[in-house]
Amino acid sequence: MASRSVVLTASGISKTFGEVPIVSDFSLTVHAGDAVALTGRNGAGKSTILRMLIGAQKPDTGRVEFEGIRMSETNPEIRRGMASVIDDLDFFPDLSVVEHLDLMARAHGVPEPDAHVDAVLAEVQLVPQSGQLPGTLSSGQRRRLALATAFVRPRRLLVLDEPEQRLDVEGVAWLADRLVEERKRGLAIIMASHEPHLVDAVATRRIHVVGPEPAGVAAEAPGAGEADA
Amino acid sequence: MSKKQRKRSASTVAEAAPVATEPEETVADHAGRDWNFAFLPDAEPEWVDEAALHGLMKDWRHGRATRTIGQVLSDAYFAVFTIVLLGAMIVNAIIGSQHAAASCTTADCAVGRTLIPWGVYFALCALTLGVARLFGPVLASAAEGFWLMEAPIGRARLLRPRLWGVIVLAGLLTAALQAVVAALAGEPGHLVAAFAAATGLSCAGLMAWAAAAQSGDRRRPLALVRAVAALGAVVALTAMVAVSAGWVAAGRFAVPDAAVWVLAGAGALLALGCGTLAHRRLDVIPRARLTSGGSLVSSMQGAMFALDFGLARDILVEREAAARGHVRPTRGRGTEVFALVWRDVQRLARFPRPLFGVLGAALVPYALDAIGLGLASPLLGAIALMVALIPLFGALRVLSRTSGLARTLPFSTRQIRLATSVVPALLAAVWCALVTPSMAGILGGVARAPLEASLAALATAAAGLLGAMRWQTARPVDFQVPMLATSSGAVPPTLIFNLLRGFDMVALVTAPLLLGVAPVWAVALAAVVAGFLTAGINTAEMTEEAAEQRAALEEERNRAKGKASRPAARPGGGPAGSTPRPRPTGATAAGQRRATARRK
Repeated sequence: MASRSVVLTASGISKTFGEVPIVSDFSLTVHAGDAVALTGRNGAGKSTILRMLIGAQKPDTGRVEFEGIRMSETNPEIRRGMASVIDDLDFFPDLSVVEHLDLMARAHGVPEPDAHVDAVLAEVQLVPQSGQLPGTLSSGQRRRLALATAFVRPRRLLVLDEPEQRLDVEGVAWLADRLVEERKRGLAIIMASHEPHLVDAVATRRIHVVGPEPAGVAAEAPGAGEADA
Repeated sequence: MSKKQRKRSASTVAEAAPVATEPEETVADHAGRDWNFAFLPDAEPEWVDEAALHGLMKDWRHGRATRTIGQVLSDAYFAVFTIVLLGAMIVNAIIGSQHAAASCTTADCAVGRTLIPWGVYFALCALTLGVARLFGPVLASAAEGFWLMEAPIGRARLLRPRLWGVIVLAGLLTAALQAVVAALAGEPGHLVAAFAAATGLSCAGLMAWAAAAQSGDRRRPLALVRAVAALGAVVALTAMVAVSAGWVAAGRFAVPDAAVWVLAGAGALLALGCGTLAHRRLDVIPRARLTSGGSLVSSMQGAMFALDFGLARDILVEREAAARGHVRPTRGRGTEVFALVWRDVQRLARFPRPLFGVLGAALVPYALDAIGLGLASPLLGAIALMVALIPLFGALRVLSRTSGLARTLPFSTRQIRLATSVVPALLAAVWCALVTPSMAGILGGVARAPLEASLAALATAAAGLLGAMRWQTARPVDFQVPMLATSSGAVPPTLIFNLLRGFDMVALVTAPLLLGVAPVWAVALAAVVAGFLTAGINTAEMTEEAAEQRAALEEERNRAKGKASRPAARPGGGPAGSTPRPRPTGATAAGQRRATARRK
């Protein structure tokens, strides 16, 4: 484990909304092949932590680094290595499903993008919707498209915020298998989830985030998936 | 039914409602509270009619009024004062135009001026049909759709006032607008009245036609007539330029005054006929069609409260895309940034409508020259180009409004802005070439040497391009900053500036041309503005970095002071906001994390 490279480090990050501290002095180190699951009740601060880790929100204090580079969501190097699916993902209203994936693959310089896009499209079961515009997709289909945008491109870190949302039972099972496969290939994963089966299957480390409760303490435990790592 | 009767009816409903009794079960934790409501006991439902429900809704709304009569009167005073002031300005401008028209004695000049109201007539007809198709035109709110449309009541009775309301409103607004334009164009009084009547009645008729077609969702004929009307506006504008330039004999476009009154009569017949038809079909308009317009109105209201025209346009674009639903997918081309550029080319091939906008905008400088406003040609021409180019920056808008999609692409903000500007810039270059003769003053505008005219056209095109880019990338109003106290309540300082976005760039770049300074300065200014706009400077990030550096410096100073006074300083004792000590690993730090918030 010691030889694995450090992908992301967060050192003492904190966030306060108004006068309410949401995250206080949070630190985390993620290596290649780690799958860290953040669990905890609604409002505990999981999404805020994720947003700070990917640079979508600036921490009030502390520092986040991706492969030794100070986190900035506009840095092209970081954009090249980190894929994220959180709640702010937008789509072009005039590009179809397959065109989104095609653009993503080509922008990242994927060799033979057509074949790769077709494979990912089939995997997320959006082949019948390939010509549809995003505005007409169901919420579950939009979720699949969002996940596909992360899987169609090269990545060294994958950050997911409740990826199981809107997915059917079959979809959650597929996602778990896919993430386990990704992790075994050496991808670092950080995800927030309420789905115990997904967490059990994927996570090598589990961090239970306790919300803004007085004297709330977050605990970390090894995940069931650690044995596979 | 009179107001009093309706009120009585509403109160009857209230009285007839079963008297609330004590809830059967109370929750122990909240037993002491005055709940103000209770579960209804088993009782036979009362039969009410639509008027009673309507009265009850009205009663609820009035009961929730948040403004006093004094505040309303104060606002009314401001409104009246503004109307009088603006009215006086318009009347003054009309009188000036009428004096100027007296010197317009040649046939070319007279016919050229007469074509302006014709252009406005067709443009307003196209606009009316566009708005009617977008909103319904008969609409109902989501609440009405849920609560009233499902009830066993006649919808027609509720919708009737709305139908006739939109028809009359369309007629009055377009007539007033046309009257002002015709008067400003120097038309005599009787023609001003004729054009106002023809435009008002025609637009009212088209609105009624759209309402009649709403029940069957027959959109194709409406779209066709709208396209013809838009084409008519372009033809009128082109004819005006051609006549003024002397390319076409004025007699070709001389239309007898009686034709205007014939149009007014036809419009009146259309309004009455289609209005009656729409009236009869009100009961069969699908609920989805009614509430769709209502939800659009609420979305647009939300955007307008923030004066966020970008958001308003996003709503319309999303709606149009959802209505289209499906496209024939095309493979991209190239890799890296070129893939983004090529997608814009494919977009234009798929949706070529903006192309016509750019070509139409190229007529504006010539038209301005033709009516003697050549001096304002750079400013107004750039604004016309800006409006035409905004739809072509759709990709930039999506990549700028939230960071989510931009984060997935491996490009810097500058690369994204440059890549998404390539296609609009090419079209702006075409526009520049098309308007160069106008900038040389071939139609009597400001006369410039060929090189100067080319530079002036270049600066004007750049102003339009940069204005469109600024319009699409400007951040929405920030409601989290300290507000300004005004008589209209708390207002964020950036709210007013939001109105000016895009126009500020146009004004800045074209200012040297308006002031008579050499055009090369306008081009230089455009280059500087382009540098700033494409850089995508993240002020928040810069501010944060500066704050972090200040904090580090402060910490260093404190440490030095501590060393001077006490040999052993407390570690990590920096001031608030300083960078805390880094935690070594997640495993060791996890047990020390603590969330200390207090939830209200």
